Amino acid sequence: MKVGVLALQGAFREHAEALGALGADVTLVKRPEHLAGVDAIVLPGGESTTIDKLLDTSELREPLHERLHHGLPAFATCAGLIVCASGIVDGRPDQRPLGVLDVTVRRNGYGRQRESFEADLKVRSLPGDAFRGVFIRAPVVERVGAAVEVLAAHEGVPVLGRQGAIWFSSFHPELAGDLRLHESFLHEVG
Amino acid sequence: MGEGAARAELPVPLFCAGGIATPADAALVMQLGAQAVFVGSGIFKSSDPAKRARAIVEATTHFDDAEIVAKVSRGLGEPMRGEEIGTLDVKLAERGW
Repeated sequence: MKVGVLALQGAFREHAEALGALGADVTLVKRPEHLAGVDAIVLPGGESTTIDKLLDTSELREPLHERLHHGLPAFATCAGLIVCASGIVDGRPDQRPLGVLDVTVRRNGYGRQRESFEADLKVRSLPGDAFRGVFIRAPVVERVGAAVEVLAAHEGVPVLGRQGAIWFSSFHPELAGDLRLHESFLHEVG
Repeated sequence: MGEGAARAELPVPLFCAGGIATPADAALVMQLGAQAVFVGSGIFKSSDPAKRARAIVEATTHFDDAEIVAKVSRGLGEPMRGEEIGTLDVKLAERGW
């Protein structure tokens, strides 16, 4: 299975390593032609306004939106979640989310760099040990639509979920040293 | 050293900074193995900082695409100028002059 990782900015390398370790055929997506033949895509964490601008300059905004809108499975993490959201609070005025997830997020909602933290998460779809969530200047999910299934919450706030084929987390699953979330994503889309 | 040789890259992220004044400079250090480029005076001492900053970011993302690096390098105005060391007003050390 060919899995793309949006590689405009941010933690794409760590996602590519995690997916590669699980046997996926990983391709870095920086230009529209890199989307060809991709069966799923990961939208990594990073800095959402930078990714937003680079979506335009790389000419990826329209083709990526088109593929996601037509059901391309995706795992959107941290800034990737902001990119996919339908609403952003505290974004830049010119930031244009793709709107493929019916959620509203508050950018940097958990605070600045020094407020970054880790927390053990009980994930509904993962029996066994807790998953260590790494939250780096993470967005806070302030609202989820009726079509969203919440898979984990931290202090009552959704931090992991899905809407159809699009998964999202406000934390960085690729930095946990635990491949179970990538594995279950691949298992489902494969 | 052994681990670096085996992986053909450093085991830690490499940030490059210092003297980067053009999009091509940023693309060069990325091609040499950097994961990130840090630019200060190369942007702020240029004639059009906002435009140059954007171009350097694009060249960093698309460092392996010569066409894009060439495209974003056009029309940026004047880059940061190097300064002749003998003309500096502030000397960080008095030795060696």
